[in-house]
Amino acid sequence: MAAVLRSGFWALVVLVSTSSQSSFERQLSVQLNPGWTTTSPPPGGDLLHVRAFGDNDTLHYLFCSQGAPTLLLIHTNSSSSTVQVDWPLFLARNTSGSLKVEPESSILHSTAVVFSRLLEYDDVNDTADPTSDLFPPYELQNFTWSRLNLTGDSARLCGASSSSSGVLCLQLSVFKTDGRGQTWPRLLHTANSSQLEVWIDGLLPRATRSRFLLELQAVGGAYPLSRVEVHRSIDDEYTPSIFKASHWVSAANGSSDVRSFVQWKPVAYRRSDPALEEATPCSHSEPRWQSGETTAAASGLVQAFDSDLDTFGLNVSFGLAGEPFYNSTKFLSWTVLVGVGSPPVDSFSPLVVAIMAVGLGTPVVLLLLGGLWVCLSKKAADSTTAYEPIN
Amino acid sequence: MADIEERRSLLGGEGDDGSPSGGPADRAPGRPMPAICDPAHLLHRVVVLGFMCFLGFGSYFCYDNPAALQTQVLQDLNLNTAEFMQLYAWYSWPNVILCFFGGFLLDRVFGIRLGTIIFSLFVCVGQVIFATGALLNRYWLMECGRFVFGIGGESLAVAQNTYAVNWFKGKELNLVFGLQLSMARLGSTVNMNIMGWVYSRVADLVGSPGYTALGGSLMIAGVTCLFSLGCALVLGFLDRRAERILNKEQGKAGEVIQLTDVKDFPFPLWLIFLICVCYYVAIFPFIGLGQVFFIEKFNFSPAEARAVNSIVYIISAPASPILGFMVDRTGRNVIWVITAVAATLAAHMMLAFTFWNPWIAMSLLGVSYSLLACALWPMVAFVVPEHQLGTAYGFMQSIQNLGLALIAMAAGAILDNKGYLVLEVFFCACICLALMASVMLYFVDYQRGGGLNQSAAARAKLQKEATSDAE
Repeated sequence: MAAVLRSGFWALVVLVSTSSQSSFERQLSVQLNPGWTTTSPPPGGDLLHVRAFGDNDTLHYLFCSQGAPTLLLIHTNSSSSTVQVDWPLFLARNTSGSLKVEPESSILHSTAVVFSRLLEYDDVNDTADPTSDLFPPYELQNFTWSRLNLTGDSARLCGASSSSSGVLCLQLSVFKTDGRGQTWPRLLHTANSSQLEVWIDGLLPRATRSRFLLELQAVGGAYPLSRVEVHRSIDDEYTPSIFKASHWVSAANGSSDVRSFVQWKPVAYRRSDPALEEATPCSHSEPRWQSGETTAAASGLVQAFDSDLDTFGLNVSFGLAGEPFYNSTKFLSWTVLVGVGSPPVDSFSPLVVAIMAVGLGTPVVLLLLGGLWVCLSKKAADSTTAYEPIN
Repeated sequence: MADIEERRSLLGGEGDDGSPSGGPADRAPGRPMPAICDPAHLLHRVVVLGFMCFLGFGSYFCYDNPAALQTQVLQDLNLNTAEFMQLYAWYSWPNVILCFFGGFLLDRVFGIRLGTIIFSLFVCVGQVIFATGALLNRYWLMECGRFVFGIGGESLAVAQNTYAVNWFKGKELNLVFGLQLSMARLGSTVNMNIMGWVYSRVADLVGSPGYTALGGSLMIAGVTCLFSLGCALVLGFLDRRAERILNKEQGKAGEVIQLTDVKDFPFPLWLIFLICVCYYVAIFPFIGLGQVFFIEKFNFSPAEARAVNSIVYIISAPASPILGFMVDRTGRNVIWVITAVAATLAAHMMLAFTFWNPWIAMSLLGVSYSLLACALWPMVAFVVPEHQLGTAYGFMQSIQNLGLALIAMAAGAILDNKGYLVLEVFFCACICLALMASVMLYFVDYQRGGGLNQSAAARAKLQKEATSDAE
């Protein structure tokens, strides 16, 4: 038994040493509407440009509400690459190439994520099967979007539909270093990723048993995001009761080299300050190839940057059968991570490792000490009996 | 709840030396009666045994109602897990005190017959209040219900033991205890596996799931308590009749509680208490929270989750007598305790750190839980003199209930904020503490001459010498 315990202990020691990763830091520079010279904001929506400088590469995050809200992530291998916007062409939204990265040869990879549509269906029989009774979708490109509200390294964008009250908001956070979100699902992020929180607040449902789906499109250049891997994890410390993470990545091109990813945990929350019972599970459909032209028409950023429009789309559906309907709180919030490289993977927290190490270590130590003491006292007893007088 | 049967080994031991005040043989009734009506006849006692077994069925059935309906309770009443676990805490609170007085109340205040009926009434009324609280969607009322239920539940088990000793002393007592234990486990198991179905039926009947359906199903569960109350009444009648015919005395729980004894408890006894508390707090609150855990971590269906959650009880029913026999034969209780605790730790670690099929871990948990019960509880009798046994067992159960109440609340709060992994790690930590205490117990006992860890042969030899010395 001692051997078992000891091996468990050493396994934990190994875990401790591996879980402390070296943290890598980027410098951030935030610019709203780069190259726009007029004092009034550009018509049709703001363009946010965040540059994240590494030692020998730069990540360009472009977030824009010209059309459907879009996050474009460009990875370059130069620490001095820049983004050039030809504003008249960009605003015209009919030609590719109005947004360029200089030098163009420095581009390693680019991925755009478009939040294209919000779908609603009447779940009369509480089956959470979204194929039935779909209402006409909310086209997010037709929403009226607010200006970008910048606070620190995050930006908030809210939009309203003309046909309904309530808002759909997106909050983009870009990170200097490794860390973890403040609120559930508390996704682990690296300096190579950004986080987007999407929430619907107060949007009036068109049926009392309405449930929602969000349509996402990923435009992936040479490595389109064509499959979703669902990873099981025993660690639900940061997202209680959720034991899965979904990684939307490019199809393995013979190698395990993942260029970029969209990662989320299959959970949404029905309140802005959620407790565990307000968590609602999500599911996603398989990514499907889509025509890039419609995506480009919907998103100004995709139209302006991408010429190679290999697009895959999927729906994330909120709520499973038996879960409360949207109507109960009229709020839904869901968080994704978009980044380059491999998706970050959770590891045990120091708290868990410490408790297990102490918990398993102490009985082993006790056993060893006790065993030693027994041996010594036995020896002592033996020696006393050996020299005892015969009578 | 399930801990009280372990005290029976104590009562069983006493059963042999106390002489019944009215031997049935020498007071044969004047007129002949059919065997089934003759209190002196085995057939009649078998009938009585049936009523005794079902006396506790209702309270065991209803104790784990919240665990069996965990998802429904959480959703229909809009509770968080911490609030849900309060339902278990409120059951334990009255027993922190009552464990000392259950026997006293039965012996001195009410008498066994009236006492049993009163405790059964508490159980019934508690369950009805609990169900009414659900019907009206008043959570505080449900907590009150669990409190009242708790007052009755644990003391009823003492009454059940007393009846058993009274009717079967020196005859088939161990078998009777075994049967009662199996019956208790059966109650828990049936509850776990049937309540979900009852709920869905009631939900169909009232139109939709919701607190009305929940209240309705809890009311239906309350029928088992009514049934048990019926058993209490019948038993009371039969016992009185037997007393009249056989001129025997009312049964006594026979426990003398002397709180001042506590200061004389030897160090090993405190270690035993520590093992007891740390071990059971990682079992019962876990089972209370198990259903949703299996659904969410292992993607089980609700019915499957309830089944795997009840496997601990199912295994315990046949395993307890077998393991009990084994421990009796081999002795070496401390080693068995260490084995049981280590196996439980392994089971909890499997649940925490792997996706292995939980049937494995839960079966291991079931076996080790039964083994611990067989090895741990009798040890108390080895370390304290007989006149302090009542106090020692009362104290042990009291702090166990205290631990259960506190840990139930803590477990809910941990789950709400930190999730299942940390909760499981917390349970592992409790078990580790129990493991430390049992390892320490081994060495402390070794230093004191190894009385606890003797083999059965050595123990028998010692006893023989002691008796021959006395002669």
